[in-house]
Amino acid sequence: MFGTGKQKDNLVLEDRLLIRKFNHGNRQVLGRVYEKYKDDLVTLAVALLFDKNTAEDAVHDVFVSFIKSCGKLRVTESLKGYLATCVANSARNKMKVLERHHSVGLDEVAPISAESNSPDLSAMFAEQSQSMAYALRQLPYQQREVILLHLYTGLKFRTIAKSQGESINTIQGRWRYGLAKLRSLLNSEVEK
Amino acid sequence: MRPAENIGKLIKKLHTAASAELDKKVYSEISKALAEDKKSAAVGPSVWRIIMKSKLTKLAAPAVVIVAVLIGVNRFGGSIDVASVALGNVLERIEQSQAFTYRMKMTMTGVMMPGTPSGKRVMDGTVVISNSYGMKMEMTMTDANTGREEMTQQMYVLPDQKVMFMVMPEQKKYTRMEFDDDLLARMKKQNNDPREMVKQIMNCRYTELGRSVIDGVEVEGFRTTDTSFSGGAIEDVNVTLWVDVEQWLPVRTEMDFKMNEQMEMSGVVYDYQWNVQVGASEFEPVIPEDYTAFPTDGMKMPSITEEAAVEGLKFFAEIVGQYPKKLNLINLMQEFSAIKDSEHPTEAALKLREEMKQMQKEENIEKAVDMMRPVQSLGMFYMTLLQDRKDPAYYGDSVLPGDADRVLMRWKISDDQYRVIFGDLTAETVSAQQLAELEKQPGE
Repeated sequence: MFGTGKQKDNLVLEDRLLIRKFNHGNRQVLGRVYEKYKDDLVTLAVALLFDKNTAEDAVHDVFVSFIKSCGKLRVTESLKGYLATCVANSARNKMKVLERHHSVGLDEVAPISAESNSPDLSAMFAEQSQSMAYALRQLPYQQREVILLHLYTGLKFRTIAKSQGESINTIQGRWRYGLAKLRSLLNSEVEK
Repeated sequence: MRPAENIGKLIKKLHTAASAELDKKVYSEISKALAEDKKSAAVGPSVWRIIMKSKLTKLAAPAVVIVAVLIGVNRFGGSIDVASVALGNVLERIEQSQAFTYRMKMTMTGVMMPGTPSGKRVMDGTVVISNSYGMKMEMTMTDANTGREEMTQQMYVLPDQKVMFMVMPEQKKYTRMEFDDDLLARMKKQNNDPREMVKQIMNCRYTELGRSVIDGVEVEGFRTTDTSFSGGAIEDVNVTLWVDVEQWLPVRTEMDFKMNEQMEMSGVVYDYQWNVQVGASEFEPVIPEDYTAFPTDGMKMPSITEEAAVEGLKFFAEIVGQYPKKLNLINLMQEFSAIKDSEHPTEAALKLREEMKQMQKEENIEKAVDMMRPVQSLGMFYMTLLQDRKDPAYYGDSVLPGDADRVLMRWKISDDQYRVIFGDLTAETVSAQQLAELEKQPGE
């Protein structure tokens, strides 16, 4: 998870320093950035795609561009938000490729693992998260994406809307529908 | 708890670790990128690029300016020549305060060194001074044009230990510098210390501005534009001190300095708090375990002696091929760094460049700092001569290295005696009459 409370403040401060070095082309920080966020980014990608290999490909692609853009690109916002948005974009692209292959809409595409014989949910998430993973998997992709970017990564709706070129109303609509569906799927756990 | 919050908590429990295979792939990309960097570094940036680009230089350049201002502006003055009851009262009241704090904001505008873009940097600082423990300053430097914070640092001056610490949290670095006795004696008396500010104003021609009100406090103003405020080290000076007319303690100090043609500095010292309670622990540098020392850790501050000044002149002439035209600290640094654009570098400059190409980056920084030290010594020595009103003169614009018959620099050491450094860098003590002969221009 991306950090909470006092720990979150420290992380933000460290992020600021990492961004500054990154913007100045100091590639020594890349290892630290990767170590700091790799698990969170892989988790996000897996929760979007439900296929660990494809998810890791998405994270790998993001880091390859991130490394190349060091000193050329200026990150001005949260580093975690920036990377999470990139991973979400990369994951979406991979889903679109799949969409083209199957000639169906993004939200009709089943999670990759359903078709690719990749390991099941238990191989991807710990037992305590199995039901949540299962519920997420039932959501249309776009709703799942908004839920994860907002709740797991902590991105604001405005930021998500901007990164996806959608209106904030559209994003909030996906959030509401997604949340309602999750709630019904997880009824017993949510009410605990 | 609301369902959305519960769902959020459950989602945050999701965790999948990156595989060793992904680690391997990403680190391979990072290694490739770092290898490229190393390769381009091996091509060898010039010594000047290293000096200009190193973090330490970015730190050191403003620091030199600050040191220049600290020493130049607030140096412990000599006897107070001008009687002033009002300012005398202020001084007396300040001296009753064993510990005090204040804040300052300095804005530096212009070109700090040739080849670097003109910029505007704002330094915000909070200072605590204790007669018992020393000085602590926390400072943030911001690029005023972009609003980006460039550096934060904490500085500790510990007179009893004769050391100064600088801690740089962003870099997780610190450095420790030792003073020689001479600089220590001066540092003990300065650091934007309002006592010295008042003494300096009292030593200058100043005007009383009359009453005004600042933040609801009735104040009286004293202004000086006398360049002897900085011992002539700054071209234009405009300093205004506002004191509370009930407490007779400073409320605000405003400063505008034109350092030279390329650089200006303005600042304000405010939020003075008098007789504050401080403990020894506040002045103990906090250096977390994971912080590492700069390669310059333990380096000495520039000496302010005749020998160090001669060494500075010699070094400057070897590298640049001539003596500096002016000994103002800022000019000196600018003139010295201008050599990077020289179409005809000296053999020494070329050799130095070659040496630095062979070195590792860390060694380069060390070398750059070492290199600047004698030049700084020279500037600081001349500045103290000016401030001590020792009738100094410098003729670097017309005297060439090796000119054994010409006075390069001189200053008064007693009523009838002067110390002279000649163009060949030998030094002698001469009488005022002999000096007059030596300084005669041909045909006079």
